[in-house]
Amino acid sequence: MHEQSLFASVPVHQHHELLQQLAGLTAMQPRHCLERRLIFKAYRKPGVAGRTGASQDLQQGDLQRLNKMLNGNMYYTQVVGPVSESDFGSTAPVDRDTQMAGMDDSNPYGSSSSPSYDYERQSWKLEFRDIPEAGTRSAVTSRLMSSATLPRGDVVQAMNAWGYHFTTEYVVEGDMFIHNDIAIFLHRVLHYPGGGELNLPRRQLPALKDMTLFEKSGSYVLQAFIIVQDSSNQETMKTASQHLFGLREQLKSAVVLEQADRLSLDTRAK
Amino acid sequence: MADSFTLPLRPIPEKRDRPDTLPVEIAQINNQWGSFREVNEDVLRNKIAEEEEKDDLDEVGESDQDASDLDSTERLEQLYKRRAEITQFAMQAHMETMFALDFVSLLLSKQAPRQAETSMSPFLKQVAPLGSLNAEVVNPPPKPESKTKDISAVSRGWRIQNFNAAANKLLQAASRLETEVASETRYWNEVLAVKDKGWKVSRLPSEKQSLGVQYGFLEATPVFRDRGLASLRRAEDGALLLDEGLIPSKTCFVRVRVIQNGRLSGSSKPTRSNFNGNETIEDRILQARDTVYEEELFHELVREARAIASFGVTTRQNLIQIPASDDLEILLDLVDTDEDTPEPEHDISQQGTSLAEGLAHTIRILLAYAHRQNLRRRTLLPLPLTPKTRSVPEHQLIRPALAYIKHMSHVRWLQSLLNDLFGVLQSAGLKPPAYTSRVFSTARRRQTSPAPAVETLIGQFLTPLLSTFNGKILTPRGSFSVAIHTNLSLPPFGTSFDVSFNMPKYPDLESPGKLSHREEVEAAITHLLLLDVVFTVSSNSGLPQPESDKDQVKPSWEAIYPQHGELLIPSKSEKRKKMKIALSRHEMSLEIYTVRCIDGTGRGHWELPSYHSMPHTWKPSPIAGSTKQPSLMDYVSTNVSFS
Repeated sequence: MHEQSLFASVPVHQHHELLQQLAGLTAMQPRHCLERRLIFKAYRKPGVAGRTGASQDLQQGDLQRLNKMLNGNMYYTQVVGPVSESDFGSTAPVDRDTQMAGMDDSNPYGSSSSPSYDYERQSWKLEFRDIPEAGTRSAVTSRLMSSATLPRGDVVQAMNAWGYHFTTEYVVEGDMFIHNDIAIFLHRVLHYPGGGELNLPRRQLPALKDMTLFEKSGSYVLQAFIIVQDSSNQETMKTASQHLFGLREQLKSAVVLEQADRLSLDTRAK
Repeated sequence: MADSFTLPLRPIPEKRDRPDTLPVEIAQINNQWGSFREVNEDVLRNKIAEEEEKDDLDEVGESDQDASDLDSTERLEQLYKRRAEITQFAMQAHMETMFALDFVSLLLSKQAPRQAETSMSPFLKQVAPLGSLNAEVVNPPPKPESKTKDISAVSRGWRIQNFNAAANKLLQAASRLETEVASETRYWNEVLAVKDKGWKVSRLPSEKQSLGVQYGFLEATPVFRDRGLASLRRAEDGALLLDEGLIPSKTCFVRVRVIQNGRLSGSSKPTRSNFNGNETIEDRILQARDTVYEEELFHELVREARAIASFGVTTRQNLIQIPASDDLEILLDLVDTDEDTPEPEHDISQQGTSLAEGLAHTIRILLAYAHRQNLRRRTLLPLPLTPKTRSVPEHQLIRPALAYIKHMSHVRWLQSLLNDLFGVLQSAGLKPPAYTSRVFSTARRRQTSPAPAVETLIGQFLTPLLSTFNGKILTPRGSFSVAIHTNLSLPPFGTSFDVSFNMPKYPDLESPGKLSHREEVEAAITHLLLLDVVFTVSSNSGLPQPESDKDQVKPSWEAIYPQHGELLIPSKSEKRKKMKIALSRHEMSLEIYTVRCIDGTGRGHWELPSYHSMPHTWKPSPIAGSTKQPSLMDYVSTNVSFS
């Protein structure tokens, strides 16, 4: 799959107005999103790469492909977990031990009246984004992407098994709009307070008001994107970028949507 | 409007008594006769003489035409002469212009010598030095007193007249502006009133300078969504006009008619009564909204009807025919509100009307539900873009209602079947335990549904319908259950009866499972009850008899062919008594006869019936306890004792 997108920077004083403008344009109420994002870095498992012994039965072509796969670029990937506002600053379910797993399936807040955040039941999605394509003639950011659903709960073990280190995590808050094929995500990045980097994802979330802004001025990023199933189909790719340009024209008086700097979206691990 | 608003800037030209002015006449003479300079007495005299001569010649010519022809040489000469004349005239004219030019140039040479010099003839330059001629304005002679007075009076009069006219125009403009302001105020007040009612007022996308009101439904099919916008125009007096463009302003609605046994038994009424004359703008907007909703509804109904043509639904241009159940047919059509023809009253039944009204409300509610589903679908994260377009599935409008009608019809049928059968059994003195029915037992409530309660409620209506019937039979620990599933939204379509038996006495009796025809269900249940009766008879006849018969060895019935309802009294003799029980939903008949078969196992012709008793039948009597019939058990036991 391919993602085509346009970006704009929205200063904080314009945020409220833009929300209303987008709500009018898309004829829908904004869907508020809060997402935990964990960043994982791929690493080469020692002893795997470059080993070509016992490969007599491999054909030359296969061998090349295997080598390319093993020695190719390494990427950062994100694991995204949707959370709700009440998950922040809440405590873990107290009677976790006495409750059987699955009992709280229908009733996510358990028997206790205060909301609680249960890391073990957090759903996750793996999202991979390539570095945007270089030298494309069209004025949109186009990059290869893929996503997959992961098992609930602790993902670090599974990710380790696939050759990924946990690096860091942050939170994205924003509002989502849908305009025909285009998803419009007006968001900003929040950091955890304290700044002490852990080497594991947090099991508890601090209160939302304690989160610090990544961008000190509090400005938002507006991302408009379309996902195309088959990037080899030039016709659909063109349609997608045409739709994005149409949106850019419509929003011209409010924000300026433009292509992002390619290298700032580099996901390769050096 | 601009025409009526001009100030007269020129005095009205006065009428002349002479038709032509002098300059015009002079020009005319110049053209006709040449310059005045050449006119002198001799020329004029010659001319007159010539004219007289010509007249004479003409007279001669007229009298004698043949001789009038001039000689060719003479003609030629005349021609030359004329040409010479023309050239002469031209030369003369040229000379005159040159003179005039010289004169003007000399006059101008005082003021602009360089420029004037270029247009002077060389002769003049030699003769006269530049700037030797001057022109000056000469003071006109003083006008007489009376004339100045006249002039001032006239101009004063003119001025007064013009002031008056200007004042009038200004007053007119002021009053016009006043009415304009009043009508604008009225217009904007009405627009505000519309806006205060909660309608969305916005600029028209196609016509930037006019206002529009959005009354349509955002989630409707695009054709109808785009029609839900009308411009608010201003009439001359400022009243608000709703301009719906090319749409006919006729109001129409989807009429539901119920046909029972080929006769119209109910028809739905329009949702909103027709406005007559004094409608407000709010009414007009509401009416337009209703119309667009009804039209969309019918459009979607036709679309769905085509998709479910396999259920026997037929569509014509403006009519959908749905065979609902048994003798019930439903007609849907789009009719004008005012065209509503009075129906013949005598066939209209309360039930039919309420069914039609109920259906009419159902399809409208379901369309509103479909709109909500559209919104939900639209605001989900879009699927990846692919070249092929996804088709929009038909909304479920007819299908749930149809499923409900069909389901209810089946449930009623099963209820009546069971009532009939149990009635027959009761009339025979048997006491079958009552059955229980749970109609629409699917209403399972999902606990955590993010959708609002209304949508959850309607969502339940769209799920397959299920009703269950459970009952016990006379045989101990025996029971039956029938579950009716009706599903028209997902394959497999239609209704199925899930019939299961529990008959401990006949363990090899298998439950029929899923049946789809009523006849099969009737046969299966009747069969079960027949077995039940046979078993009851065979088990009860072996019970201890009353005191009087105690000394006798009591023969007892044995179910020999329970499937056929046949019982036999085993005995050593050749003649054996056989009993045949037949059960249907109308009656139960019992026949006892003697057979000569060896062991009584033969059937049909082989059993050689020798003695036929009259078959005894039990029918459920319409009036309870009207005729006292012996119960089945009494009848059986009396017959046994007679043997």
